Amino acid sequence: MSDLQALQDQAVAAYESATTLDELDAAQQRFAGKRGELTAVQRTLGQLPEDRRREVGAAVNAVRARLTEVESQRRAELEAERDRVVLAAEAIDVTLPPRVPRRGTLHPVQETMEAMLDILVGLGYTVNEGPEVETDWFNFDALNTPPDHPARGLQDTIYVHPFDARDEPEPDRTTGLLLRSQTSPMQLRTMLSQQPPLYVAIPGRVFRADTMDATHLPMFHQIEGLAIDTDLSFADLKGSLVVAARALLGPDVELRFRPHFFPFTEPSAELDARFEGRWMELLGAGMVHPNVLTAGGLDPEQYRGFAWGMGVDRMAMLRHGINDLRLLVENDLRFLSSL
Amino acid sequence: MRVPLSWLRDFVDVDLSAEDLADLITVRITEVDAVVRPTAGIRDVVVARVESVARIEGSDKLSHVVATDGTDTLDVVCGASNFAAGDRVAWAKPGSVLPGGLEIGRRTMFGVTSNGMLASARELGVGDDHSGIWVLESDAPLGADVNEWLGLDDAVLVLEVTPDRGYALSLHGLARDLAAITGATLRVPDLGDATASAAPAYPGEDPVPVTISDPDRCRRFDARVIRDVSVGPSPAWLQRRLAAAGMRPVSNLVDATNAAMLETGNPIHAYDLRLLAGPVIDVRTARPGERLRTLDGVDRELVADDLVICDADGPVALAGVMGGEATEINDATRDVFLEVANFVPWTVLRTARRHGLPTEGSKRWERGVPPESAPVAAARCVELLQATAGGQLEGGADHYPTPPERPVIRLRHSRANDHLGLALTAEAQAALLQSIGCSVTAEDGASRVDPPAYRPDLVDEVDLYEEIVRLHGYERVPQRVPSSGQVGGRAPDHAARIAVRRALAGGGWTEVMPFPFIADADLEALQLPADDRRRRTIALVNPLSKEEAVLRTTLLPGLLRVVRHNVNRQVTDAAVFEIGHLFLQPTSDEPGAPAGPGEDVALPAEPLSLGFAACGAFDHPRHDRPARPVDVYDVLGAVELVRHAVGADALTVEATDEAPLHPGRGARLSLEGEAIGTVGELHPRVAETFGVPARTVVGEIRLEPLVRHGIRFRPAITPSPLPGARFDVAVIVEASVPAGAVEQAVRDAAGARVTSCRLFDVFSGAQIGEGNVSLAYALQLDDSARQLTDADVAEAIERIAGTVAERFGGRLRR
Repeated sequence: MSDLQALQDQAVAAYESATTLDELDAAQQRFAGKRGELTAVQRTLGQLPEDRRREVGAAVNAVRARLTEVESQRRAELEAERDRVVLAAEAIDVTLPPRVPRRGTLHPVQETMEAMLDILVGLGYTVNEGPEVETDWFNFDALNTPPDHPARGLQDTIYVHPFDARDEPEPDRTTGLLLRSQTSPMQLRTMLSQQPPLYVAIPGRVFRADTMDATHLPMFHQIEGLAIDTDLSFADLKGSLVVAARALLGPDVELRFRPHFFPFTEPSAELDARFEGRWMELLGAGMVHPNVLTAGGLDPEQYRGFAWGMGVDRMAMLRHGINDLRLLVENDLRFLSSL
Repeated sequence: MRVPLSWLRDFVDVDLSAEDLADLITVRITEVDAVVRPTAGIRDVVVARVESVARIEGSDKLSHVVATDGTDTLDVVCGASNFAAGDRVAWAKPGSVLPGGLEIGRRTMFGVTSNGMLASARELGVGDDHSGIWVLESDAPLGADVNEWLGLDDAVLVLEVTPDRGYALSLHGLARDLAAITGATLRVPDLGDATASAAPAYPGEDPVPVTISDPDRCRRFDARVIRDVSVGPSPAWLQRRLAAAGMRPVSNLVDATNAAMLETGNPIHAYDLRLLAGPVIDVRTARPGERLRTLDGVDRELVADDLVICDADGPVALAGVMGGEATEINDATRDVFLEVANFVPWTVLRTARRHGLPTEGSKRWERGVPPESAPVAAARCVELLQATAGGQLEGGADHYPTPPERPVIRLRHSRANDHLGLALTAEAQAALLQSIGCSVTAEDGASRVDPPAYRPDLVDEVDLYEEIVRLHGYERVPQRVPSSGQVGGRAPDHAARIAVRRALAGGGWTEVMPFPFIADADLEALQLPADDRRRRTIALVNPLSKEEAVLRTTLLPGLLRVVRHNVNRQVTDAAVFEIGHLFLQPTSDEPGAPAGPGEDVALPAEPLSLGFAACGAFDHPRHDRPARPVDVYDVLGAVELVRHAVGADALTVEATDEAPLHPGRGARLSLEGEAIGTVGELHPRVAETFGVPARTVVGEIRLEPLVRHGIRFRPAITPSPLPGARFDVAVIVEASVPAGAVEQAVRDAAGARVTSCRLFDVFSGAQIGEGNVSLAYALQLDDSARQLTDADVAEAIERIAGTVAERFGGRLRR
């Protein structure tokens, strides 16, 4: 029995003094392995008498249990030590640049337009789109624009030649075909193709014969709203535009309506919002003029409605702190990628 | 319209600060852009008398002036020469301050110490006259503070007047509205005989016969003759007011016409009577070949649509726009012929536009001036003219052949309330309209409203609604949000378009927005064949630039210009896309939008196109990886992203050599048999013409076939619970066989169990034979009903071998 105790002491010492997992494996083989010393003792049990066999057998099992315990404890220590060293050697510099997949950006005007449309969709409006080349009737006549209105002139509106024609038409060079100067022609296309109640939002690109500068573009974007029903009033116009403006600019934005003039609405208004102490024009609006309803095939005694149009590009400027509208059409990737 | 506050207060005394008044006008009448104080900051400038003037030796311009303000008599050096001893002038003495904070001190020039300076009108912030110093009239009180004496602290409101509110282009009209809104008393200057405008009493006979040959364009002509006037500068107060109102003071005669116009809104033109041939006046349209040299010195060719004022020799003025040089008021004028007429808006508008002459007068005519204001303006002008230039009103006549009928409007009070969302009583509505001069009489449940003459814009019932709500106050209208009774939303193709844009941005492509204008030469540069539909462009009448004068039929020129613009700015890696309309001549398959009722015009077809352009590196370099140049497969990948984003079926890709692509590096794409576009590397010569880098890749596809069904949801695949079988197979075919066809054959041959087939290696070399290529595929077979065995794999491989041999004469690489 004292041999067994000595064996145990020897083995524990060997286990505990192992400095690597290989040394521990070797010690384990030497004492507890298949050809180990403890196993050798175990093999002699059969030659012992019955009573000794039981006694020694129990003692061998106790030693084996003790050795297993010591070994696994030492193994855990050595494995932790090994991991520490090995993984430390595998350390990387996590402050190196990340591996970002190539990233593109969407145009701020398009994104602003979709964000504004989301608000109108939330108010129950459906989105309608229309052509960019329009006729005089849709862009002007049906919108109650007088025949000699300055907006019809070549100074303001870009006209389109009849197909395959290049000659200058006579006498005032307008041709009946033009690049729409506003999204309002779609009011008429909507009225002529759908029955009230109408609640539509009309986004689109519009054109003016303007010289480009920091605050004017010859091509810009508008969103037109049109609501036509049997019982709408100026109060509905105000309420709708106030909730839409708050959704766009924040619940605390200060707003004011003031009189304005558009040939296609009566009464007409502009809505201003206050930014950094200054009033900024947000949109033009009004009750749809009876002449416009009539042109759209609707009886103004039966239907009323309101309409508004607002610039998208300026809103994009506001969202992104852009101070020059030309950036929006220059397509400089340094600008676009910064968004 | 620039409104000097002191001038407005002559007409109505509203007890508000300039800023509060500006806010009130903005929310009730028309927008006030700004409140300016052009003379703000001026201090201690005094009225002085010039005692003597002497040239300074050695200087060509400077004079030695001795000036006195009654207290000090000092030397001043002056560069102007438009004054003489005895004149009263504005003296900025040492220690005084000019507008903008400029402090005046002493300076010595040519040995003379100048005690401050004599100021020009511009230096005092009064107008832009800097041709000489400002000579004040002789009764200017010596030593008086110029600031106080002329009221230079006056604020000026800058109004943006809408086209319907012509009356707001006059002080009287603006004052009348303010009186209605605030209840303040309106004070109209005494206008003498104008109160009896129906039958004005003129002393003497009409000395100049007037004929209105075109009464459709000229509705009224009030002519007056004043003799023996003394032409000279206007008094300083009038000069200051005119300058503050944005009009250059000219002479007492011209200034009187301008001041009367600003007050009454009716433009007036004064002629030197002795320069009028006849004297006789005819108002008619111009005759072919007639010319007129206008006040601005421009010799103008007239057209038959121009209304002109003529004397016996021909045109002397473009009616309502500008007078002629030959008959203008000058320093020698003694007798004045005043034209206080009424022209219809459209004739003035057309002529002003045609000749590029927007004037203070034409601005008012365009908005409509009521004929009733002519005698009022004439009387006021005569009054001002006589006060500043003397002379006797010798005679005149008011020619008013056919006074226009004025509308009578029926106002339904309850409908007005319904329209406005208000609940005003009939009496309240009537009171608002009466406050601006309407006469309102009850008439079977509604009212009969006669608008005042100065409001020609009030024609329809809704015009009265606007006046009611404006005078009541927009801010007092309640707010209500109506229910649309429907769920809002975008059309399916619009929603799909958003998915496409998001997918492309996520895949590394940046959205751009060029103008939709190109040149016909661009299409030539793209080498498109002459009969290509895209060559039939639609031209603009007045393009923004002559170089890009047609509407685009392809997105590529715009995208290539974006690439070039960026490369020129050292941004050499670009991958951009655009979604936009093309403008094509319509066909029966692809029509344009319908024209309006009764219009005989066809609109272009405007299909949506998706375009790509890329150059340089697609994958940016990193410290552990070099840059990867963009190639055709990146554009094909982008198209694949688009297809996947909208759930469209697989696209067919086949080689093409069509323009503008590299003949060996172009692909034509089809969706369900419909050709939708091409992608590829730009032909080297096309790249060179457009000035973009070699190897620039492009693509353009029709978007509509991809998005027309909206975003289609794909049916889900249920994965097999069994592991299946995975194996590789390499086939050798001639290099000319398209890889896409080989892959299809491999898939077909492997059978219905194929769940994945991926090309993982392409190899060519002597060991597989010259002109051959080896394509290696990794395949996965799955069968959820049973465990697949080596026999299944072997069978599939043999089928692949057979199919490849049969279709391409190829073999397995064993």
